Amino acid sequence: MREPARTAALRCPDWPVTAARRRDPSLVGVPVAVVDRGQLGLRVVAASAEARAEGVASGLRRREAEARCAGLVVLDADEAGDARAFEEVARAVERHVPRLVLHEPGALSFATRGPSRYFGGDDALAALVVDTVARLGVTDVTVGIAAGVFAADLAASRAADLAASRAVDLVASRAVVVPPGETVAFLAEWPVSVLAGAVDASHEQGDGGALTDLFARLGLRTLGDVAALPESAVAARFGSPGLLAHRLARGEPGHEPVAREVPPELVETMELDPPATRVDEAAFAAKALADRLLGRLDAMGCCCTRVVVEAETEHGERLTRCWRHEGALTPSTLVARVRWQLEAWLVASDAGVAAPGATVDDAADAEMATGGLTVLRLAPDDVIPATGRQLGFWGGDPAAADRAGRALARVQALLGPDAVATALPVGGRTPIERVRWVPWGDARDETPDPAPWPGAVPGPAPARVFDPPVPAALLDARGEPVTVSGRGETSAPPVALECPALPGGGGPLVAWAGPWAHDLRWWSQRRRRVLWQVVVDARETQVACLVAVERGRAAVEALYD
Amino acid sequence: MAPAASPTISELPKLPRRDDAARAHLQEVGRATRPVSLAHERVLELGSSLGSLVPRGSVARGAVVRVAGVSGAGVTSLGLELAAACTRAGEWVAAVDPAGSLGALAAREAGVVLERFAVVRRVPPARWASVVAALLDGVTLVLADLPPEGVGVADGRRLVARARERETVLVVGDRWPADAALTLRARAAEWVGRGEVHHLTERRLLVHAEAPAGAREGWLARAV
Repeated sequence: MREPARTAALRCPDWPVTAARRRDPSLVGVPVAVVDRGQLGLRVVAASAEARAEGVASGLRRREAEARCAGLVVLDADEAGDARAFEEVARAVERHVPRLVLHEPGALSFATRGPSRYFGGDDALAALVVDTVARLGVTDVTVGIAAGVFAADLAASRAADLAASRAVDLVASRAVVVPPGETVAFLAEWPVSVLAGAVDASHEQGDGGALTDLFARLGLRTLGDVAALPESAVAARFGSPGLLAHRLARGEPGHEPVAREVPPELVETMELDPPATRVDEAAFAAKALADRLLGRLDAMGCCCTRVVVEAETEHGERLTRCWRHEGALTPSTLVARVRWQLEAWLVASDAGVAAPGATVDDAADAEMATGGLTVLRLAPDDVIPATGRQLGFWGGDPAAADRAGRALARVQALLGPDAVATALPVGGRTPIERVRWVPWGDARDETPDPAPWPGAVPGPAPARVFDPPVPAALLDARGEPVTVSGRGETSAPPVALECPALPGGGGPLVAWAGPWAHDLRWWSQRRRRVLWQVVVDARETQVACLVAVERGRAAVEALYD
Repeated sequence: MAPAASPTISELPKLPRRDDAARAHLQEVGRATRPVSLAHERVLELGSSLGSLVPRGSVARGAVVRVAGVSGAGVTSLGLELAAACTRAGEWVAAVDPAGSLGALAAREAGVVLERFAVVRRVPPARWASVVAALLDGVTLVLADLPPEGVGVADGRRLVARARERETVLVVGDRWPADAALTLRARAAEWVGRGEVHHLTERRLLVHAEAPAGAREGWLARAV
């Protein structure tokens, strides 16, 4: 069996909180939660130990989190700031270990073969790395070493569990090393739910949760159960997400690399003249590079999971950093990573030069830019075949949804988050009641079509709904307002309607239908509302509208425009 | 299978055309759902009812459509017809609704897919042009009700140019100060099936379509 290269994974759980505390020391010891706006609205993405003790967990709504923990400090996510803070950790680790691969702020991995021999074994290496990072003040770091990134990641989270269960927190106990050849046995006891994230990231449909759910319901509760299945049976039943899960469960790499050596023509280079000294200048150039790189890979039917960001400065320094993403890098994830890295180099250099006693040599040692960037280079590191994207059968295009989402987010930035909404039909009797406006970005809790309510106004839906209704006068043949008795009986049939919302201010009725009587809030203050559909003759056209009479006052609720 | 039992290709035209209505429906579905962004024809196909009044049955992407008429005569419904043609093809539509009175249920009855129909409600008049400009970047059709104060000529021209550049259809109201490639005028609405014991059931709209290629007028019927 092909065992993947031995890898160490370093995890700083809840890095956004750690980074925020490094920026603002007054947050230490205070319950803190970081929220980010995702597909399901504003959710907690990271929480401090104090907040977790009170029941705050990732994925909670902001309001729910605040309700569980009094005095919770809620911060907005700042990924660029997190990445900048993590650069310090990456630099410290890099002094001992070459070729780091960054996954996201708070997570990195590296191959251990060389460093382990140099430092005298995996255990010594893990202890050294934990110690190095802990010296920076990041005490909750954990390290896992196993064959392959997936297993190493699980080993790191095992280390976090162990550290949490121990009364005395020893630095050496923050690492879990899975001995060579025992990775498969180590994986076998994990529940299948740990596969969800990896499957989600590499398949656009994002069905990892559904897949692991299905595994559990079929009686496959641990990775060992999944690994015991024959590969062909998994492929036939669960398709490519299932195959990926199966490979990971058996401790194999998630995919076969096509080319170990990346052909040199795939490296995208851009010279910057004049040199870029500000992050946005460099990021703008990086965006064009990223688009070109992914376009080229796309044309070859490939995608990449790791990319090396390289920059040269005016002073001849060469900075390199490798970023990895679970699943293939998309334009937006690639640009975000490149931007984080550039920010880490350029912004950190400003801080470094400003620090007293810092010299150019120090800066070069610490891997940061002492001048503007002159060359920017993106090299794909791990090229795999693209499994492709299935477009919607009826012409639905995910790119169009992305584009629309960006435009609507811009409008929300202009007018506020509640200004953009999509409509959700809900139960009710009048046109106003039957629609709920869901702000763009919040979850549409789609329910099957509500059954019509008794007393609902039948017929087509009006295209204009006035909220609040426009005051009007519904008159009978003698010119008196039409009123409704307590039993819902009308005083006289309506004959004319006058309202400023109608063309010509209203006119005689051609026809009417109704009335539909509603009792409103009979439990507190009994109110009776009566609705009519009327068709008004407005000379060249007929205008149909919905008129409500309540407490002797008439109002036009809606216009069938 | 016995060869005699299966009709050969030459026999196919002789088979009875049993269900003309179903065939017509299938053809319309095919027309509405085929990829609309072929390289040589950047148009938005309208459905059969509105399409019969418009030259070539389609609106060019990047065109401005003016929808005019007195309120109550079906102005809003015409706009929703255009939006429905767009979302049926899997595309996105945004509506700008300064009055906050657009009826979402009517949109759904017209055939609009509500998940892809974002409504910007209660836009301040000063921000109207910038909101419409931002929306033109992202969606295929923008249904923009004018603010009560109207729109300046310069803003109007800028939006026309932007719509053309982004290949987005812009649907505007009566008092649009700049030019429009197509004008749909709701002339009159006529309700049928009404009565003192019944309720509103069905309506016909008299629509006048005016394009550089010629004008046409006709009744649009929809069992609503």
